[in-house]
Amino acid sequence: MDNKDVQSSLTGSGKTAEFNFLKSNLLNSNSASDTDISTVTIRNKHMLRYVVLIILVISTYKSLGSDLEQIHPVLKYRSEGYINSYPEECFDILKSFAEFASNFTLCSILNARPIRLCEHCVEHYVRFHDKYNELIKTVVNGTSCGSLFMSHDRLNVVKNYHDGISGLWVGGNCNDCFIWNNGSYNAKNDTKKFYKMFNDTMECIVFNMDFDNNIVCEKCMQNYLQLDEFYKGLSKDGIGVDSMNATRYIWSKNLNCCNLRRTPEVIFLCCTGIISFLPIMYYLAVRFCGPIRDLPNVLKESRFKQSILRSINRRSD
Amino acid sequence: MSKSELSSIVETSSDTAQLISTDDASTSNCAQLNNLSTDQNEDDEIQGSHGVRRRQPVQKIEPGSLNILSAKYESLDYDTCENHLLLDEERKRGYTFVVWKDIARWFIVLLIGVITALIAFTIDICIEEFSNIKYKQLKKSVDKYILLDKLYIPYLLWVLTNISIVFIGSMLVAYVEPVAAGSGIPQVKCYLNGVKVPRVVRIKTLFVKSVGVITAVVGGLAGGKEGPMIHSGAVVAAGISQGKSTTFNKDFKVFEYFREDHEKRDFVSGGAAAGVAAAFGAPIGGVLFSLEEGTSFWNQALTWRTFFGTVVATFTLNFALSAYHGHPGDLNYSGLLNLGKMEPFSFQFYELPVFILFGVIGGLLGALWNHINYKLAIFRIRYISSPWLRVVEACLVAAVTATCGFLMMFLLNDCRPLGEDPTKVPLQLFCADGEYNALAAIWFQTPEASVRSFLHDPLGSYKPVSLLVFVLSYFLLSTWTFGVAVSSGLFIPNLLTGAAWGRLLAIVIQYMLPSSNINPAKYALVGAAAQLGGVVRMTISLTVIIIETTGQISNALPVIITLVVAKWTGDFFNEGIYDIHIQLAGVPILPWEPPPLTHNIYASEVMSHPVFTLRTVENVGHIVEILKLVSYNGFPVVDPPLIDEAEVPTYKRLRGMILRSQLIVLIQNKIYNENANTTWSNLNVDMNMFRKEYPRYPSIDELDILDWEKTCTIDLRPFMNPSPYTLPHRASLPRLFRLFRALGLRHLPIVNDVNEVVGMVTRKDIARYRVWRHHCHMGMEELLLSSEI
Repeated sequence: MDNKDVQSSLTGSGKTAEFNFLKSNLLNSNSASDTDISTVTIRNKHMLRYVVLIILVISTYKSLGSDLEQIHPVLKYRSEGYINSYPEECFDILKSFAEFASNFTLCSILNARPIRLCEHCVEHYVRFHDKYNELIKTVVNGTSCGSLFMSHDRLNVVKNYHDGISGLWVGGNCNDCFIWNNGSYNAKNDTKKFYKMFNDTMECIVFNMDFDNNIVCEKCMQNYLQLDEFYKGLSKDGIGVDSMNATRYIWSKNLNCCNLRRTPEVIFLCCTGIISFLPIMYYLAVRFCGPIRDLPNVLKESRFKQSILRSINRRSD
Repeated sequence: MSKSELSSIVETSSDTAQLISTDDASTSNCAQLNNLSTDQNEDDEIQGSHGVRRRQPVQKIEPGSLNILSAKYESLDYDTCENHLLLDEERKRGYTFVVWKDIARWFIVLLIGVITALIAFTIDICIEEFSNIKYKQLKKSVDKYILLDKLYIPYLLWVLTNISIVFIGSMLVAYVEPVAAGSGIPQVKCYLNGVKVPRVVRIKTLFVKSVGVITAVVGGLAGGKEGPMIHSGAVVAAGISQGKSTTFNKDFKVFEYFREDHEKRDFVSGGAAAGVAAAFGAPIGGVLFSLEEGTSFWNQALTWRTFFGTVVATFTLNFALSAYHGHPGDLNYSGLLNLGKMEPFSFQFYELPVFILFGVIGGLLGALWNHINYKLAIFRIRYISSPWLRVVEACLVAAVTATCGFLMMFLLNDCRPLGEDPTKVPLQLFCADGEYNALAAIWFQTPEASVRSFLHDPLGSYKPVSLLVFVLSYFLLSTWTFGVAVSSGLFIPNLLTGAAWGRLLAIVIQYMLPSSNINPAKYALVGAAAQLGGVVRMTISLTVIIIETTGQISNALPVIITLVVAKWTGDFFNEGIYDIHIQLAGVPILPWEPPPLTHNIYASEVMSHPVFTLRTVENVGHIVEILKLVSYNGFPVVDPPLIDEAEVPTYKRLRGMILRSQLIVLIQNKIYNENANTTWSNLNVDMNMFRKEYPRYPSIDELDILDWEKTCTIDLRPFMNPSPYTLPHRASLPRLFRLFRALGLRHLPIVNDVNEVVGMVTRKDIARYRVWRHHCHMGMEELLLSSEI
């Protein structure tokens, strides 16, 4: 269900390496969610390991790069048109923007499965978003900082990262979970309520896990139905889609609580039988009981040939 | 007077002898004529003289035969009657009138486009809204009763809803206007071919058709609204261009100059094209449709005007729909049947055989579809003729369709998680929470939306088993539905069936080649095209329509290959479904080309022989007598014979042609003189007198003619067409055919060497030579005529 989201956001940032990493992570998580929820923590550990690995790789590369600089000549000047250096303010903003972006990325990857991105990373997102706006709006010497870093080359790194992260956020419908007030945010009442009900239900299920399935169903039915009703009542599928989906999945597939629905429905089958039989009756009745009609006559055509023949016959008579 | 005319049937004459003797000097015709005359009784002849298959003559025919032409149908007259009145009118009006008429033509085409689109819009919105209400309510009921173990309640509710909705539509069709049944494309095709199908372009038909199609689709039948849209467009065109309504007895006194078959047929072809454009959002497809399916007489100006009409229709509909759906001003909102914009799919050389295979399958399935429908149609003609039986049948079809859908949802538990595909009414049924029944989603929406689902959903959306069951049941349901007394078309059901089996094959291919990345949309589209092509056997227009509805020109090659192969495969077994229904109705339709190998069939054989002629100055009593005696519509006007001998009737020299309708108008307005020798004054007679009655003239029995009037005389010369197209009696059948079809003639007098009328050729005389080609054999047969079918 979130496979698509992740893929789209990744194609946005265009990083295949990350993609592969995430994919494997995702596969892990998929198989994990099938078996048990308690593996969530274990999975997080897995992910941490990956992240640590990546950071290690990056840092070694960095140190490698500085080493290389001493051995091989590199492009040294970084400024607009490579002559004038950037204003310091802009560069500072850019630096913190980069930092926030990486913070959010880290947070979002860690909260990828199950999706807790909205509630856990909102802080990072807000900082990132604000910094981006600052970058765009800050004007030094008549040019905005944004224009210095954006739309000047093919890669357009800053813009691409911003779009990718925004895309992730919007794709998760995270904005719907909060009430926004001039940059400050508060979780909506609906969101809070949903979290609470969700937690109750899951607690109930986890708590009763050791018993027979039927007992779990019976005990948690109340909670589950409330949650389900509440979820259906929510206007948009923004809040907790995936949590709800997972819960439903556990409820009906793992615990098999939906089997109450399946019933033989004898009367229904009888009705269909009767109705399907009606046309056959109708056609047989029409075929054998209908009135016998007179068949249409063929029209005598008058042709030249006939009249000649007739006249010849007459002449010979 | 009349005696001498009628006696030409029984008596031979010097002219007959003359005809034979002239042939003697010429070519093989003589041998042939002699051959014929040596046959003692021509009725015994089973094998015609030129390999023309002629069946054992019978007195009675079984209804539901493909080999009978109905004598009831009349032709449209595409030829202008250049009589004195027309000349007068031209002289009076001058070039201003020509310009004015041209402007009026464009204006009418504009109106046709707009009104057709608005009708399409109304139908579309009604269907959408009513379906929405229906399915929402049903979903509620299912959700409620499934937990109570009473699934039969929503089921019976569904059946009853369908039956009651379909009942309204089929009552209208069966009792009010039977010609509105079905898709209407066969009728429009006949009309454009030049056959006057009674009541096909009336306002009443339009009403019944519109309401009928709404009830049919909302009633859940396996039918579409595209065919009826084309018919509606044709009716709109015929109505507007005439500036009057005979049904409401209202004459708006405008566009009188368009009240003739020629102009009306041109407008109807534009209207049908506008209907296609509105139905599919395919302006070019519309133009090509009326070019391919219908209009035998075509010119460039008409093409251009028609194109204008289709574009207007498309964009009016877009505008109306976009306004309705909350994007006013967006002219890009596509037509009724929107297959959804498709990505251009890539195809490789090695895929072409796959497309050919799809075409073959489509052709085979289409031929089977046609055969089943043909058998059903015969059964209906023979046993289900009374209106109430037809209504009952329609209701039964509605009930069984609902049963089929419900059983499928019940038995095949094909569950899909919510939220991945856009489903309007997701029905959980026995699925887990958070899932919906994929088959219920297909059944709980209009067929158009289902086609879109099949084309655009990802590969794993449907289980192969559900697809297979769906294909089987929908195939049978749609062929059963077409021909029932409701007005619904067959485009959508066939597209749906085809898309379903195309998708099924895509799954099979994916299963066989797990490494490849199969695009289900491509195969579903090709499958849909193949199935539809196999049933209707259209080529050019269907290709363009599919290209336009998917918005991808790059898909043209696969679609064309598939359609051509489907048509060839299907033609191996039987005709296209429209042709089958046209043949069952016995309509004398002329195909694109004359029958091959028929240059040795001469006009003297094709023509009807004893011709009823009128003299230039004719006795009213005689005219009335002839009109009452025969059902012919055209009468050659001839010179009076030099010697008026009753015993020796002669062929007489042709002076012109006059139509029954003209004669009736003349008699009705009493344009005659007591004395034949008084000078004629026609000051108060003009073309409008004839146009006023068009197109429904009173029959001769409705006129009351006093006895004294019968002795009066009419001078026919100012009213007749003084220079009708004629052919000599030695003209061959292909020559006759070409002249007839290309010029859209109604009557073609056959003359001998001295321009004396020896016979008359009408559409039925030519249409009775029909070529058949099936199962690798080809031949020509001569059809029988009957006035009782």
